[in-house]
Amino acid sequence: MRLRESFDRHRKNHRLILGGLALLLLLFTGLFYMAQRGRELPAFLVTNRVLLFVLWYVNVVLILVVLFVLLRNLFKLLVERRHRVLGSTFKFKLVATYVGLSLIPVLVLFAIATELLQGSIDRWFNTPVAPVLEQGNAVAQALYDQIERTNLRDAGRASAELGGFDLHAAQARPRLTRRLQELQRELDLDLLAVYEGREFVQAVLDSQSGLSDLPEPEHSFLDQAAAEGRATSIRERPGIPGSLLLAAAATPLAAGAEPDAPPPVVVVAGTLLDPVLAEQRQKLVQGYQTFRQLEVQKDDLRASHLLLFLMVTLLILLASSWVGLYLAKQVTVPIQALAEGTRRISGGDLAHRVEVVADDELGVLVQSFNRMTEELESNKELLERGNRELTESNRRLADERAMIAAVLENLAAGVVSIHSSGRIFTCNSAALKMLRQGEPEVVGRRPEEAWADRERGRLAELLREESGRRDAREVHMLLGGEWKTFEVKVTPIADASGVVQGRVMVLEDLTELIKAQQLAAWSEAARRIAHEIKNPLTPIRLAAERLLMKHRQGDPALGTAIDEGVEIIVREVVTLQEMVDEFSRYARMPRPRPTHVDLSKLVSETLHLYRNLKPGVEIGHQVDGGLAPAWIDGEQIKRALINLLDNAVEATDPPGQVSVSAHQVNSHLEIRVSDTGRGIPAESKEKLFLPYYSTKGRGTGLGLAIVHRIVADHHGSIRVEDNVPRGTVFTVELPG
Amino acid sequence: MRATLALLCLFGFAPQARAEARISEIKIALDGDRVLATFTLRNAFDRRLSERIDSGLPTAITYRFELHRDRKRWWDRKLEESTLEVVAMYDAVAREYTVHSKLDGKLIESRTVRDKKALESAMTQVGQLPVFTLTGLPHDRRLLLKVRAELGSRTILALIPETIDTDWKESSKFRPPRPPA
Repeated sequence: MRLRESFDRHRKNHRLILGGLALLLLLFTGLFYMAQRGRELPAFLVTNRVLLFVLWYVNVVLILVVLFVLLRNLFKLLVERRHRVLGSTFKFKLVATYVGLSLIPVLVLFAIATELLQGSIDRWFNTPVAPVLEQGNAVAQALYDQIERTNLRDAGRASAELGGFDLHAAQARPRLTRRLQELQRELDLDLLAVYEGREFVQAVLDSQSGLSDLPEPEHSFLDQAAAEGRATSIRERPGIPGSLLLAAAATPLAAGAEPDAPPPVVVVAGTLLDPVLAEQRQKLVQGYQTFRQLEVQKDDLRASHLLLFLMVTLLILLASSWVGLYLAKQVTVPIQALAEGTRRISGGDLAHRVEVVADDELGVLVQSFNRMTEELESNKELLERGNRELTESNRRLADERAMIAAVLENLAAGVVSIHSSGRIFTCNSAALKMLRQGEPEVVGRRPEEAWADRERGRLAELLREESGRRDAREVHMLLGGEWKTFEVKVTPIADASGVVQGRVMVLEDLTELIKAQQLAAWSEAARRIAHEIKNPLTPIRLAAERLLMKHRQGDPALGTAIDEGVEIIVREVVTLQEMVDEFSRYARMPRPRPTHVDLSKLVSETLHLYRNLKPGVEIGHQVDGGLAPAWIDGEQIKRALINLLDNAVEATDPPGQVSVSAHQVNSHLEIRVSDTGRGIPAESKEKLFLPYYSTKGRGTGLGLAIVHRIVADHHGSIRVEDNVPRGTVFTVELPG
Repeated sequence: MRATLALLCLFGFAPQARAEARISEIKIALDGDRVLATFTLRNAFDRRLSERIDSGLPTAITYRFELHRDRKRWWDRKLEESTLEVVAMYDAVAREYTVHSKLDGKLIESRTVRDKKALESAMTQVGQLPVFTLTGLPHDRRLLLKVRAELGSRTILALIPETIDTDWKESSKFRPPRPPA
């Protein structure tokens, strides 16, 4: 709807402009036509009072309109400037420039043209034509004056001579005629006539003058002659060749004459001027008259031309001022609207739109501005929505973080998170308690700084290891004079795109658990020992009871029975003795005495014992050549290796393979004993290292318990995994 | 600029330099219902008017008549108005002046004179001119005749046209004649 209204207003504007321009064009065309026609018009029409006044009032109206237009806009601009309307200064400058550019040239042109016009009009009447015409006219008039004087004189003489004639006597007429003819010839007149008052009496014409008939003089002429004694007249009528100059003379009546006294005798003398001369004189007089008319009307002529010129100037001024103002408005209105829009938008009113219709670049600017504002508004809405969502998300995250922190704080396990920057991000209370540290010592520091001592440094070493390793590790530390065993698991934290953002380390204090396990293990061991001891005791008891029974019965086969019984008893006692010795060795296993041991050599020597031990079972090894001497008890580690190899060789059926490898992995040694044997069921793996637990159904069940004990005494760890594609892998990790 | 200054001087001082045209005392005569006015326009035939007539241009002196009802202590009320236009034209070839007189656009007289004095007289002397008819007007009302003459126009500052006219001249007050008994 608004667009439609704008379009209509815009179209109306265009119509108005076109209409105004068409009107101006029509007006200018009319003025031009009038100016062209004006040349053909008689001067008195050009200088007509009505025309002058009409022109003047039109000019006054135009002046008022121009002043109104200019002053109205000036007033508006001044008010806008006073009220500091945005863009008013620019508008003022632009309008002043436009109006100035249109006003100054037009006014200068008007001033110059006016001066030129006045100068031209003055020059017209200052040329030598004026005196020439004046002199010519004077000559012509002098000629007439002379003829008139002659005629008057002749008429007077004739009047005097004819005074004695009785004009009413019929017998006197011929004599009067003759005398008139004589006078006419004598005075060289073309016409001589006698009137009594207005009444014609007698007349004679020169037959060679061309006058065919007596021209009747006007009564006023005769009356004037009768009244004043003389009169002159010039007749130029159709039928009269040339000009006929008449002069009348009479004897006026005396002042006291009777009313019924006869009218005075008027003698009219006429001279016919040559037609050519008369025509020339007529043209000369008319030319002079025309010049005089122009001269008399000089001021009016100048005024009419100036007024006409002023009218055109004012029309141009009005048109140019109006167009200037219109053009200025076309520029300033959108700019003002844009400036206002900018102010409103900077004030936060993003819903504001610039409602200005323009076709030109300013229109594009306005459209772009509105588009920009729309985008700003939509972006602001998006930002606000995003902000709300972010705030909500942050609140949720904060809740979650608080929840996680609470969970972490209440976890028995120690949890340490490490940021991708490598600094410790969080460390829960359990971890701090386990590691016997305060939060400031840990949080925000690098692991190497937080755990700079040798014992805690193992954790830093674990973190330095490859992040892909996710299995739990047992770490033993001497903290506060107490050995602590932790199960440590380092897990990388990846975001949705798989990029690692940090790591989390989970510490599980196994010290008490191990103690409990050890107690349980000892209970189990005692139970098993008891069970193992029971086995030989039963045959001993049975053998002893059999001997006692044989003895009481006096059995003659007592001797044989004694031999057999004693043999059984001795054998079982030996078994018991071996069992006790073995257990004593397990129980009395000395603490490791570490020395620098060449692990490569130790492995080679141990493997040498198993060469060709079992046909079809290949024994191999892979030890790093540059392996540094290990700080271990060589004998104990060798014993552990032997136990592991015994089990591996026994479990591997030909064809098979048993191999031992030793590597330096970061800060610790890794010894792997793998076989391609039967493997170990999952449920047995947990109990594998317990004393007297065996999957073989024979043996003491102390082998792997001893291995575990040796490794634990070296603050290392041992784990069992399935070998690929089959078999079992035992991995021993020892501190480097 | 000099022309403008000269015109300003002319405009400023010329009226004081020459005598103003004026209408002499108006004599009113009543001929039945008709009001006959007699007066003379003085100082009208100045150089400007004379030159204009001699140039052969039709030159008019327009007399405007107004019949008013006289009211004491109040403005007079205009009852009627009338115009006498006296137009003179000089025929330079015949060396005579023709004077036409038109009352309210109707030609009432046409004269031909050959000298300036007769012309001035013909144009400025108005004698026994029946300007109004008092038919229907109550006889007890006091009336008066106002006359003004317009002598053409001139321009101020070479641009602004101005009518040259005399002041209004008032006649003595008179009353319409009583109707015959």
